[in-house]
Amino acid sequence: MNILICIKQVPDMESKFKINGEGTWYDRADLAWRMNEYDEYAVEQAVRLKEQVKDADLTVLCIGPDQVTETMKKALAMGCDRGVHIADADSAKREPVEIAAMIAGFAKEKNFDMIFTGMQSQDRGSAQVGVMVAELLGIPAVTTIVDFVYDNGAIQVKRELEGGSKAVVTATTPVLLTCQLGLNTPRYPTLPNIMKAKKKELLTMAPDTGGTGSRQEIASCSFPEKKGGGLVLEGDVAELADKLIQLLKEKTTVLA
Amino acid sequence: MEFTREIYWNVGHGWTTLAPMYGLLLVALAVFDLGMYKRLKVYRLGHPLDRTDQRGERFRFLVDNVLLQAKVLRVPGAGSAHALFFWSFFVLVIGTSLIVIQADFTDLFFGIKFLKGTFYKLFSLTLDLAGLVAILMLGGLMVRRYLIRPEGLVTKGDDALMHGLLLAILITGFLIEGARMAVTEMGTPLAPWSPVGWGIAALLTAMDEASLRTLHAGLWWVHLLLALGFIAVIPFSKFRHIVTTSANYFFADRGPTGKLTTVNLEDENTEKFGANQVTDLSWKDIFDADACTLCKRCQDRCPASLTGKPLSPMQVVNQIGEVAFADPATNLIDTVGREAIWACTTCRACQDICPASIEHVGKIVEMRRNLVLMEGEFPGEEVMTAMEQTEVNGNPLGMGYASRGDWAEPLGVKPLADDPEVDVLYFVGCYASFDKRNIAVATSFIKLCQAAGIKVGILGKEEKCCGEPMRKMGNEYLYQTLAMEMVEVIKGYGVKQIVTTCPHCFNTLAKDYRDFDFDVEVVPHAVFLDRLTAAGKLPIKAEPFTCTYHDSCYLGRHNDIYDVPRKLVRAAGGHITEMAKNRDQAFCCSAGGGRIMAEEKLGERINIKRVQMAVATGTGQLLANCPFCLTMFEDGVKGADVEEQLRPRDIAEVLAERLASTNA
Repeated sequence: MNILICIKQVPDMESKFKINGEGTWYDRADLAWRMNEYDEYAVEQAVRLKEQVKDADLTVLCIGPDQVTETMKKALAMGCDRGVHIADADSAKREPVEIAAMIAGFAKEKNFDMIFTGMQSQDRGSAQVGVMVAELLGIPAVTTIVDFVYDNGAIQVKRELEGGSKAVVTATTPVLLTCQLGLNTPRYPTLPNIMKAKKKELLTMAPDTGGTGSRQEIASCSFPEKKGGGLVLEGDVAELADKLIQLLKEKTTVLA
Repeated sequence: MEFTREIYWNVGHGWTTLAPMYGLLLVALAVFDLGMYKRLKVYRLGHPLDRTDQRGERFRFLVDNVLLQAKVLRVPGAGSAHALFFWSFFVLVIGTSLIVIQADFTDLFFGIKFLKGTFYKLFSLTLDLAGLVAILMLGGLMVRRYLIRPEGLVTKGDDALMHGLLLAILITGFLIEGARMAVTEMGTPLAPWSPVGWGIAALLTAMDEASLRTLHAGLWWVHLLLALGFIAVIPFSKFRHIVTTSANYFFADRGPTGKLTTVNLEDENTEKFGANQVTDLSWKDIFDADACTLCKRCQDRCPASLTGKPLSPMQVVNQIGEVAFADPATNLIDTVGREAIWACTTCRACQDICPASIEHVGKIVEMRRNLVLMEGEFPGEEVMTAMEQTEVNGNPLGMGYASRGDWAEPLGVKPLADDPEVDVLYFVGCYASFDKRNIAVATSFIKLCQAAGIKVGILGKEEKCCGEPMRKMGNEYLYQTLAMEMVEVIKGYGVKQIVTTCPHCFNTLAKDYRDFDFDVEVVPHAVFLDRLTAAGKLPIKAEPFTCTYHDSCYLGRHNDIYDVPRKLVRAAGGHITEMAKNRDQAFCCSAGGGRIMAEEKLGERINIKRVQMAVATGTGQLLANCPFCLTMFEDGVKGADVEEQLRPRDIAEVLAERLASTNA
């Protein structure tokens, strides 16, 4: 079984974010980088599938500057067999369809039986790349899966729907699946696997969107404006009640 | 008259006595050798470890602990009884040897007798009293084991054999003496020099001489057989501790205290890390099991054991031995149990008190290493998350690394990257960098340094976790990654002295980092502040207050720093009321051994127990010297619902409050 896992390197969400000089995206300085959380579920599910069927080859693909190979090594240490790095220093500026075109361009001739990816990225959060890749490859996509069962060629997944309900979807290969929180608990790589990962094949390719150009651009980017926060009243209960009534009269219309 | 006695009286000194006697001795020694050799083969299942360096110190330590019973005597009661028994039995063995030396060597070949005159009188009295003390101590220990039955004391058939055999040897010895004296010494001035024997002889005088002689000869052979049996049975019973525990003092870990072995992660031929089989441990780890006497001192002090967790250091040590001798291929981790392995706080209470110099902590860490490095297993998901956070942001709290130095900005303390000309580098640690409560401690410490005119620098966003919690939790790979990075960064600035407010950072930088060619002086803040006080640089205005003081495991048992912090507290005007468990007996806060990253799910909460001990002092204030302890105590006072009764604080905070300038 030939499996592709698409991952993205994103800043840790606890980082101190600043807007970049052009005012179009976040500044890359002082950020800690890691694998996109949802992509970790994708990698884990692919590795579990390989452990189940034994005969599978896992290719992990990542687009971005050279530093993303650090994150790719984690995927390799978790159990992916080979890595494909599409070296694109400008990946952050690209719109989802360009990223999808690059992935589809690579995947087209490879006849992957299954493609796993995160349901969205933690930084941009478009949730478009996965489905667009499927569309470009002409294969079905099942999004936001929270459960995955493979049995002798038959795939059965649970999709997360609105309001907590879930849909059971069956599929056959080839298929693209985007992974959601709750699907699994990604493993912690063992030391022998970390060592082995250092020697695994890691191919670097030039970015090729196959003619798909950018049709949109970010005009500007800013932090949400700070709007007045909460107010904590303290003191005697009787006074508090008076204060509250006064506030409600002054600031709201509920008592009008 | 000449004071002496006829040796071999009544049994004869001819070949009919000597041939069977020495023949049986040779048999006993052969059985002993064979038994020990068989055990030696099992010890050798462990991998090599050199414990024969520093022979002078090793030998001195052996003498201190065998002949002087130093470690045994640390616990009065049973320990004192053991020491007195050992000394008296040792005297009896020497006395018996002197008799053999005179009768079968000096007298036989050279006609020299030394057991005579005043020396004989003293010899006789000493041995007689030694026998009495031995019987009394043995009796006391039997009462303790079989009647009082202290909780947790494991009693097996082995113990009955030991007590029975020793008691039989001592009693037959006295009966032989009594029978001989009843015939030869009654009414002579020599008799009172063997008071116990005299008393027994007085009881036996009712018998006629022929019966006494028969009784004497019979008991003499019984006594001999018992003594030789004792030698033969050593390797096969708990008696072997006479050999193994004594040897273990020689082979004891000579420090630095609490430093773990550094795994060679560069070696590409290594396929297995840590231990899940006894063969992954060192020979000393297997030998330790044989040196254990099941005295349960470790278990009595283990914070995990005492709060209902499934860990007993004694049991872990013995499980290793059982597996090694029964089936070395057995999975050790399954035998010991994961919950036991993860419960250890590496507080060293077990290892510190162990009268047999057994090393418990290293064994547990080796098993953790196997779980983490080979299986990717942790005690809980929260620990795995903390590990991942540390990989990404350099701290287990998951805070953005770039804001690590933010706390110091308002104080005018700069990262070395901006100003490398400093008197001292403050290695802040994760908690004092990110945790609000501990930032208050760091701030107090900086204020004290500033008042003393010391220019302090930090690493700011270049600082990462020292790796201690990860290492103790078994993640040697992450520890080494962090350690190597920190060593390179610190060395890059040519720092001369480092000060820490976290004893875990201190212990790691000062000891563990030595394996990475790191030799910068590292000083814990208590010691650093004490030096400033002694030099008259710290303008502290003492104001009286009451408190109790908690010895953190990593400043106390790991580094023997007990007096300096207390001195500082007194300098601030503090009056310390000690908790029942203090200094080397201090009860862990629960956060060591990487447990700061883990939830405590089993048994009672350790920190609540410790906080209750502090409340019992009635002082209202619990002074600490460690951010992990402080964190656990702040949590503990809430958990125990004693927030109004006990205020946990760091020593630095109390001192900073008393800075003369702030009071002026």
